[in-house]
Amino acid sequence: MWDEREELKQERREFGSGLGRAALAFLVFSLAASFEVRAQSQASTTPAHREVTDETGRVVRLPAQIMRIVSLAPSLTETVYALGLQDKLVGDTEYCDYPPDATKKHKVGGAINPNMEEIALLKPDVVLVVKSLNRLETVRALEQLGIPVYSADPHDVTAVLASMKRLSEVLGAEDAGAALDAKLRERLAAIHAKLNGVAPIPVLFVVWTEPLMSIGRKTFIADVLEHARATSVVDSRQDWPQFSLEEAVRLQPEYLVFASSHSETVRNDVEALALKPGWSALRAIKNRKITIVGDAINRPGPRIVDAVEELSWQLHPEAFAEKD
Amino acid sequence: MQPLTLSKVAMRCGILALILFVVVVIALKFGAVPVSLYGLAKDLIGLLIGRSSEISSEYGMIVREIRLPRIAMGIFVGASLSVAGTSFQALLRNPLADPYVLGVSYGASVGSILALIIEPHIALRPELAAVFTPLGGFLGAILTITVVFLLGRYRGEIENRTLLLSGVIAGMFLSAIIALLITMLPSSSTRGMTVWLMGDLSTPMPPILGWVLRTGFFAGFALIYLTASDLNLLLAGEKEAMHLGVDIRKVRIVVYLAASALTGLAVSVSGSIGYVGLLVPHVMRLIFGTDYRMLLPAAAFGGAIAVVIADTAARTIAVPSELPVGAVTAIVGAPLFIYLLRRRLA
Repeated sequence: MWDEREELKQERREFGSGLGRAALAFLVFSLAASFEVRAQSQASTTPAHREVTDETGRVVRLPAQIMRIVSLAPSLTETVYALGLQDKLVGDTEYCDYPPDATKKHKVGGAINPNMEEIALLKPDVVLVVKSLNRLETVRALEQLGIPVYSADPHDVTAVLASMKRLSEVLGAEDAGAALDAKLRERLAAIHAKLNGVAPIPVLFVVWTEPLMSIGRKTFIADVLEHARATSVVDSRQDWPQFSLEEAVRLQPEYLVFASSHSETVRNDVEALALKPGWSALRAIKNRKITIVGDAINRPGPRIVDAVEELSWQLHPEAFAEKD
Repeated sequence: MQPLTLSKVAMRCGILALILFVVVVIALKFGAVPVSLYGLAKDLIGLLIGRSSEISSEYGMIVREIRLPRIAMGIFVGASLSVAGTSFQALLRNPLADPYVLGVSYGASVGSILALIIEPHIALRPELAAVFTPLGGFLGAILTITVVFLLGRYRGEIENRTLLLSGVIAGMFLSAIIALLITMLPSSSTRGMTVWLMGDLSTPMPPILGWVLRTGFFAGFALIYLTASDLNLLLAGEKEAMHLGVDIRKVRIVVYLAASALTGLAVSVSGSIGYVGLLVPHVMRLIFGTDYRMLLPAAAFGGAIAVVIADTAARTIAVPSELPVGAVTAIVGAPLFIYLLRRRLA
């Protein structure tokens, strides 16, 4: 036993004597391992640049003529198409499925985790993001690569219209933007005229059923409901609150509103829910007072007015039946 | 037992460094832009020996500003986690110990989430804003390290079992806070947090963070390496080590603080990448034996190699989407760990 320890001690001394060489080895190791990456910012100073302020207050330096656009949000992809700029759209996300042509664009990944290499490779003049969907880290990473990022940040329906108009100016499609804006405002005004004086219907917007998740009052869907003369029975400061089923039964919303592009699936789900305790105590479930709107309601883009119309027609059929 | 000589350590490290280099070159090749292996290796060697600073223009920007920094980040995150794991296993004399066992990663996560919440409410200079989240993460890690250290003492000394239990409890408490924060807060503040919690290298970091990570790694590694011989003696038992003149108290404090700091740094920039810090030390022990003078550098290289490979898989499997690198290391790591364990039992 003792010998072994002596040996260990001895070995320890030998090892220590080579400390100088160890330091050298260490140095080589560190040199080999630490790549000094010298980032040379791509400072191609074309004379025609301009500065715009985006909706989050960031000042963005853009080329005067925007020829290549990458969109990192389905709603912005829809806006770009609505403005007739689809030929300049060189990349979008895997969730950009409307209009159908958008699925054929070059995909740069998802909205939360886009692939930086794919984006850089497309050499965009501007990358479009929405503050409520994309990550701040993505914006910073793109800035670091010298790629301008324009961020939209609308919180309600009228802000969406204003946001699209502002974007049209940034992208150099003022005329198309003004026309789109006028048309959408007209449709919205028509809905408001029909629903004037109609009492708001209490509804429960169902984001998820197990557990029951709904929307908070500050969400943009809550505002869509208001435009369609409906009020969410959920009054939460959170955006996607988990909601107590007991509370839902107590409040007895008149309609349950689902957002889905597959209405059959939702109808099947509702049949299953009707068999469950708790859910079956909801009068809206018992009487199948279900409203299914397309998932445009989730997208702060041009189809938001479609969603308002769809909801209004389903929730207030009498208001539209009268005069037609 | 053949004595371990310095030249032997240097030679083995050289081999590991070569493997790492090859892995880096291969990792650089894969991605959205096609890159030729030969041209890349030539450019890289030129870059390393300082002869040229150019990487061929066609893919230069992408390789230099996206892929290389990301791989460099992976190298140092992997090396830090693996060295920290090796150290904790030695310190706690527990084969299940990993860098996260004492709750440091949960502390870093809470710090990062809080930073994400606070950030929109205060006006920050852009330079500070860019590093605010990792800074919050690191502060969270430091706070956790301190609290666990204070709780883990017994009669003024670190006592293994008390330290381990304090760390585990602190981790449970903090992970409950994470769950609470994520469910209670508006989704806009915590979006992407799930990606981050799984461990993620896809977000390019400001260069300053790369510098901090590198410097921190070398400092932490050097400190732990200075105790390598003492750790070897500790293997024989605490009393024996004490008789041989090891200042056990000092060794414990140095190793605990340095390994925790390495973990905190790694988690602050990349989230909690799982399994690397548990598995790589065991694999390296199987290959190189238990002598910490060899094991520590081997773990550093091994961790770097493992994370770079896993991250390459994470960014190429689901192109153009990215997978969280932590998911890849856990999916590959868990079966591998079971395999090693069964083999040892057989």
